[in-house]
Amino acid sequence: MPGFHNEKGVEAMAMTHKQRILAVARGEHLDKLPFGARIDVWYNYHSAHNTLPEKYKGWSQTDIVRDQGAGAQYRFFSVVKEEYQDMEVIERNEPPYIMTEYRTPLGTVSKKEIFDSSEGPWVRYEMEKIFKSENDYPVIKYIMEHIIPVDNFGAFNKVRDEVGEDGMVMTGAGLWSPVQRVMREIMGYELFFYELADHPAKVEELIEVMKDLRRRKLEVAIKCDLEIFNIDANWSDDIHTPVFKKYFTPWFQEATDLLHAHGKLAMAHIDGEMKRLIPMFLETGIDVAEAWSPAPMTSVTTAELRKAWGDKVTIWGGVPSMLFEPQYSDQEFDDYVLNLFKEVSPGHSFIVGMGDNLPFDGKIERVGRVVDLIEKYGHIPVEV
Amino acid sequence: MSDYSSLIQAILEGNDVRCVELTSEALNEGASPQDIVSSGLQAGMLIVGDKFSAGDFFIPDMLLAARAVTRAMEAIRPHLSDSGMPTLGRVIIGTVSGDLHDIGKNIVAMFLRGTGFEVFDLGTNVPSDRFVTAVKEHDPDIVGMSALLTTTMPDMQHVIAALDSAALLSQVKVIVGGAPVTQRFADQIGADGYAPDGGAAIRLCRKLLGE
Repeated sequence: MPGFHNEKGVEAMAMTHKQRILAVARGEHLDKLPFGARIDVWYNYHSAHNTLPEKYKGWSQTDIVRDQGAGAQYRFFSVVKEEYQDMEVIERNEPPYIMTEYRTPLGTVSKKEIFDSSEGPWVRYEMEKIFKSENDYPVIKYIMEHIIPVDNFGAFNKVRDEVGEDGMVMTGAGLWSPVQRVMREIMGYELFFYELADHPAKVEELIEVMKDLRRRKLEVAIKCDLEIFNIDANWSDDIHTPVFKKYFTPWFQEATDLLHAHGKLAMAHIDGEMKRLIPMFLETGIDVAEAWSPAPMTSVTTAELRKAWGDKVTIWGGVPSMLFEPQYSDQEFDDYVLNLFKEVSPGHSFIVGMGDNLPFDGKIERVGRVVDLIEKYGHIPVEV
Repeated sequence: MSDYSSLIQAILEGNDVRCVELTSEALNEGASPQDIVSSGLQAGMLIVGDKFSAGDFFIPDMLLAARAVTRAMEAIRPHLSDSGMPTLGRVIIGTVSGDLHDIGKNIVAMFLRGTGFEVFDLGTNVPSDRFVTAVKEHDPDIVGMSALLTTTMPDMQHVIAALDSAALLSQVKVIVGGAPVTQRFADQIGADGYAPDGGAAIRLCRKLLGE
């Protein structure tokens, strides 16, 4: 019996997880729903506490996902590193904090961070942001203007080789877009909005400097053998909606134009509340909305998102993290996943995934349960 | 009672300068500080909270409104009698152990203050025993806990257990919130209430205290 062939004539049954995910992201039609699973929160936590299930002790997270039969979704911070010139950067470890001081000809600024993935999440958290007052604008501007982007392809290639054809490495030229970096990393949301009300010209100038840095980083990153570039993450509609059209959309249009011109796709990590951002997303040019976290994690159902976006954007996600927790029974989990299949029917432009991770108390075997449900009910056209 | 519609409008616009001006004008015209606070500032903040819950306002609207009210309160404080402003209740609030996220907790704290609650903010990464100590120290009506991470939300149950062990649970109402937290989770851990956003938190606290 001949196998199913996708639009490029590749026999779908023989496709790897990576090929399947990429094919759907490019708008091709497959024989069944692909699945990319992300488990690093669960993995980091249990590795640090030596509480991985007996079978998985000593395993890599990619091997565990392989064992469950799913495609792996592996997060890597950036294919570009930042090096500093014409300033002194002093980093001190004062556990649990990392203190960093930037001494520039225009003055000194500092930040205080915690980085500890043993509880699961791996992002550095700034206990004290680098921006503290209006006096810091020129210094931070100087720092951003004197950052030299350098490729980080060696480290990326190592991770990509480890994942191989069994999944996707999600990365780009930085986790956050330029304005998101100003909002979240440099100032923090609260101070950002106070500053935007009090000193809008200075905030906008800083955003422009950050955009210029990102342009220089993308020039380096674009040479990387990476098919899908993550260009932003971690929105919440109650925070970002008022500034999205003005500050985010123009940047996304510029970045996606550049990526598309080089044959790359653009992706955003949309694990927050999206309700009022959904219509705006269509203007960004972003191809893949990853870590889609529907109700009950947020207020929007997958059916509502599909109705708004149709097949214009590839959605990756759909199974909220909390569904993997023991508070939900196996039956409730199965019912949710089957309803998800129904919501995305016939199943094009959709990659099954988690929104956004397997929680530390999540049941790893439910990753395999999704694989089984896809085998039984996830063949396209999906008819649940 | 004076007409505070302009003051309320300034709060809705997040205009702190105008808010302080109008507050000072009202004081100069002989309005009582208590009346300005309850009929002007707190009334304005309740509208802001309702607009946020209804989806008409966003976090920046909440932040700027809360800042405007805070600055107006600073202008009023010297005019208050020794007894100060009667509060609607005392609230201890904090992000639970292992969790460093603070914006949701900060918004709720600002709004509770702006609507007449006395708030003791314990910050982020607050261990159970610190909640217990703070309850002993401040004798609050409500203990509010926030968590953004699925890894940290179970700690809310640990705090409730610690309050119970210290025989303090019956003295307070426990409320919870944060992105991964749901009413179902709140019920499971025995919390007295759950609020999905800052506006709802104000209404919840007022309801729990019979306002």
